[in-house]
Amino acid sequence: SCDEGEIVIKFSHVTNTDKHPKGIAASLLQQRVNDEMNGKACMEVYPNSTLYNDDQVLEAMLQGDVQLAAPSLSKFEKFTKKFRIFDLPFMFKNMESVDAFQSSEKGQEMLGSMERRGLKGMGFWHNGLKQFSANKPLLTPADAAGLKFRVQPSDVLVAQMEALGASPQPMAFSEVYGALQTGVVDGQENTWSNIYGQKFFEVQDGITETNHGVLDYMVVTSVDWWDSLDEDVRTQLATIFDEVTAERNAAIAEVDAANRQAILDAGGVIRELNAEQRAAWVEAMKPVWEQFEGDVGTENIEAAQSINASM
Amino acid sequence: MSVHSKHKPKTAFGAAVARTEEVVIALLLGTMVVLTFVNVVLRYVFNDSLIWGLEVVLVLFAWLVLFGISHCFRITAHLGVDAFVNTLSPEGRRITAIISAVCCVVYAALLMKGAWDYYAPFAGLDATTGRWFPTGLADTRDQAWYETDQIPMLDWLRWLEPLLNEGESYEKLPRLVVYLILPVGALLLLVRVIEAAIGVVAGHRESLIVSHELEDDLGAGALHKD
Amino acid sequence: MEIVVLFAMVVALLLVGVPIAVSLGLSSIIFLLVNSDSSLASVAQSLYQAMAGHYTLLAIPFFILASSFMSTGGVAKRIIRFAIACVGHLPGGLAIAGVFACMIFAALSGSSPATVVAIGSIVIAAMQKVGYSKDFAAGVIANAGTLGILIPPSIVMVVYASATDVSVGRMFLAGVIPGLMAGTMLMITIYAIARIRNLPKGDWLGWHEIGASFRDAFWGLMLIVIIMVGIYGVPGLTGAIFTPTEAAAVASVYAFLVACFVYRDMGPLAAHEEGQRNKTLLERPYALVTAFFHRDTINTLYEAGKLTITLMFIIANALILKHVLTDEQVPQQIAEAMLSAGFDKVMFLIVVNVILLIGGQFMEPSGLLVIVAPLVFPIAIELGVDPIHLGIIMVVNMEIGMITPPVGLNLFVTSGVAGMPMMRVVRAALPFLAVLFVFLIMVTYIPWLSTYLPTALMGPEIITN
Ligand code: NA
Ligand code: NA
Repeated sequence: SCDEGEIVIKFSHVTNTDKHPKGIAASLLQQRVNDEMNGKACMEVYPNSTLYNDDQVLEAMLQGDVQLAAPSLSKFEKFTKKFRIFDLPFMFKNMESVDAFQSSEKGQEMLGSMERRGLKGMGFWHNGLKQFSANKPLLTPADAAGLKFRVQPSDVLVAQMEALGASPQPMAFSEVYGALQTGVVDGQENTWSNIYGQKFFEVQDGITETNHGVLDYMVVTSVDWWDSLDEDVRTQLATIFDEVTAERNAAIAEVDAANRQAILDAGGVIRELNAEQRAAWVEAMKPVWEQFEGDVGTENIEAAQSINASM
Repeated sequence: MSVHSKHKPKTAFGAAVARTEEVVIALLLGTMVVLTFVNVVLRYVFNDSLIWGLEVVLVLFAWLVLFGISHCFRITAHLGVDAFVNTLSPEGRRITAIISAVCCVVYAALLMKGAWDYYAPFAGLDATTGRWFPTGLADTRDQAWYETDQIPMLDWLRWLEPLLNEGESYEKLPRLVVYLILPVGALLLLVRVIEAAIGVVAGHRESLIVSHELEDDLGAGALHKD
Repeated sequence: MEIVVLFAMVVALLLVGVPIAVSLGLSSIIFLLVNSDSSLASVAQSLYQAMAGHYTLLAIPFFILASSFMSTGGVAKRIIRFAIACVGHLPGGLAIAGVFACMIFAALSGSSPATVVAIGSIVIAAMQKVGYSKDFAAGVIANAGTLGILIPPSIVMVVYASATDVSVGRMFLAGVIPGLMAGTMLMITIYAIARIRNLPKGDWLGWHEIGASFRDAFWGLMLIVIIMVGIYGVPGLTGAIFTPTEAAAVASVYAFLVACFVYRDMGPLAAHEEGQRNKTLLERPYALVTAFFHRDTINTLYEAGKLTITLMFIIANALILKHVLTDEQVPQQIAEAMLSAGFDKVMFLIVVNVILLIGGQFMEPSGLLVIVAPLVFPIAIELGVDPIHLGIIMVVNMEIGMITPPVGLNLFVTSGVAGMPMMRVVRAALPFLAVLFVFLIMVTYIPWLSTYLPTALMGPEIITN
């Protein structure tokens, strides 16, 4: 625990500390801050939603009860709807595109876009691209029609499922495994690390490698707290943070591939799409873009597309 | 009438308030059940869902409990340990009851400050300063823009937009509406425990917890003796 | 050290008669304000999120409501008739039937006190009438009522699942074998006592009465089927229809419909005077609408709501205490202390049992679980204890807590329905408490009892955290 006189930095997140990409990054950050800033600052990590879940943590941060958090990007849609760009289906070709967009001027603008509401974005942490899974093979969009999919509570994701003719179902994350197993819902969408970590593959017919959406995190802190720190503390903290971010984000392809392989090793089924099938999925979900273009901003969509083209 | 005889309000107004509280509690719980049931039917039979259903049920759950705490203080329904107190002399029992009442008032007062500090920014108001007691008003960052996840905005609440959201329209119901129960519930609680404390000091109330020697309807959501 | 002060404060407040919820909440708030940087606003947030942020806890109001409709609506008395028809003719027959009825009602209801009220308010008086002592009757029912939380569905299992993120469905399955076993052990004990003390036995009423009483109770018993099929599905026929939480809501709606329209013991079709018969829907078709707003419906909803509020007030404040402990990183410290003390599985389980048994003396079960489960869960995982097994151990401890003073919900309720002082109920419950103790030891050291069914039906438990 922390010594007298140290600045206490509480970091609350919702995953484990050693397997999930976010948990690994948080643990690394904790270790480096506590080693390198010993005497000045001290970081306490509260994993597994023990202190706050993603819904509560931002309120707690604005209240000053926690200093760092890393909710998924869709949680920031309440602050500015621009963040819906990451939920839009097939907006990014691959994780390199996502990374390039986040590092671009538009992406960096997004980090600062919530400052008037009291949050400062420190940077983006990767989890990866989302895949669909269901209790029957999904090869064309028509296979998803009529199925019940658990989605995160986000308008874009609801619209995305409706575009497929599927039925979006609200459900607490902790109930998803049981609901998939017993057939209360038919399918879900998630990243490789989540599908492996939550063992969803055990209770699904298979996973279709659609790479249709992004599930990333933004690490945020409170503007008021950040501004209250001494300049040198801020600089050192930001430097360590940027180095940890660069290191862990660079490793994401490896982590995703490892999780994907682990699913196969454990007997899970993964289906790849050929170019034609993939085009059908893109086509089916394309109308969702128009629906949210106003929220996201045409210039942001164009920026993402030109990055895709350059990859 | 399910109002316990020993808690029978003395005035017609008191009786009306009591019955209103009972009906509100019944309606909140009834709505929670019906909404959950409807979503099951929609999903299983019609392959559909009220996407906001889950969130509304959770909000109603919070409303049910936060609204009802004060009511349960009024009818002395809260559980406690009376085994030790029952071994004391009447005078000793009176003293412990007063201590207990004071503890409840302190709890309610601290909760009131906490509820206000939590709620104020959502309603565009200022939280208080001070750690234990309000010592003044802080200049608090506005959070009136903060919306719920999925609950649709109600049109008859649109007047909130120019007032609190800088004229921007709410797509979803703002959190200031659903969190309102926190300061309201805390205030009702504070009023009821002060009332109870006065009752204990004045001597027409024995304690703030259910007495197990006499009580016959504890746990009796289930019990109707007729 | 501060932690000791915190818990001492909770106990001191409890003893002077401060409500349990306030004892937990006030101690936590004071501890938080003195020892940490967190604000009072975070307490308010925790209080709200205790409900809004814990989806699985929704099963509590719903299961309480289902129980209320079943007792008010006459399901309980039909179940008792069926139980008496089956085992009433054995030595100690009515007492054994009382246990059997508690087991059946437990399979419909998630709560122990509700089970005591539903069955006890009828059976205890009936037992006295045929010559049992009031003490014996009260002791039997107070104990058998605890099966309410062991035989699924169970509010306490819901709370455990919510606190540790294990599957509610798994916990429910895990309770089946231990629940049947505990019930059987109680019945055998009664049978033995009956043979020794020559207790009264009823007449064998014949297979006809078994059939007739079964048909009469059928609509109530169907609820067991609806809940089980709904949660687990029928292989080859349908997948599951709802989650365990939703099952509770469906159960409430079903119990309401059965009470108002099938048994018609409550609502607009009920006879209101002695000797009158219940009306049929044909006579009063408007009942289809008025039943929803009938005074009986409103009052049942209110009674269930009231019980929910008092329970959730305790749970919410226990969650505040848990939040404060987490904020101060107490779980890590306890885990480190236990692990560095070189605890093995056996020692650990003994410690858990002792903590829970002591805690159970002072606390209401759900509130206690909310605090203790997160403290011991990580250690259990570390030591390789199966989380489902740990859950069942905790539930059985909670059962014992319910019939031991000073805080024992079943004692309170039994003293109410039997009309006798609480300490007399305590003495009356003592012989059967010994049975539960033996049972606890068995459940603790034979993990198979808890884990066989969920593993066989749902595959091995996964640990994701
Ligand atoms: Na039960
Ligand atoms: Na006890």
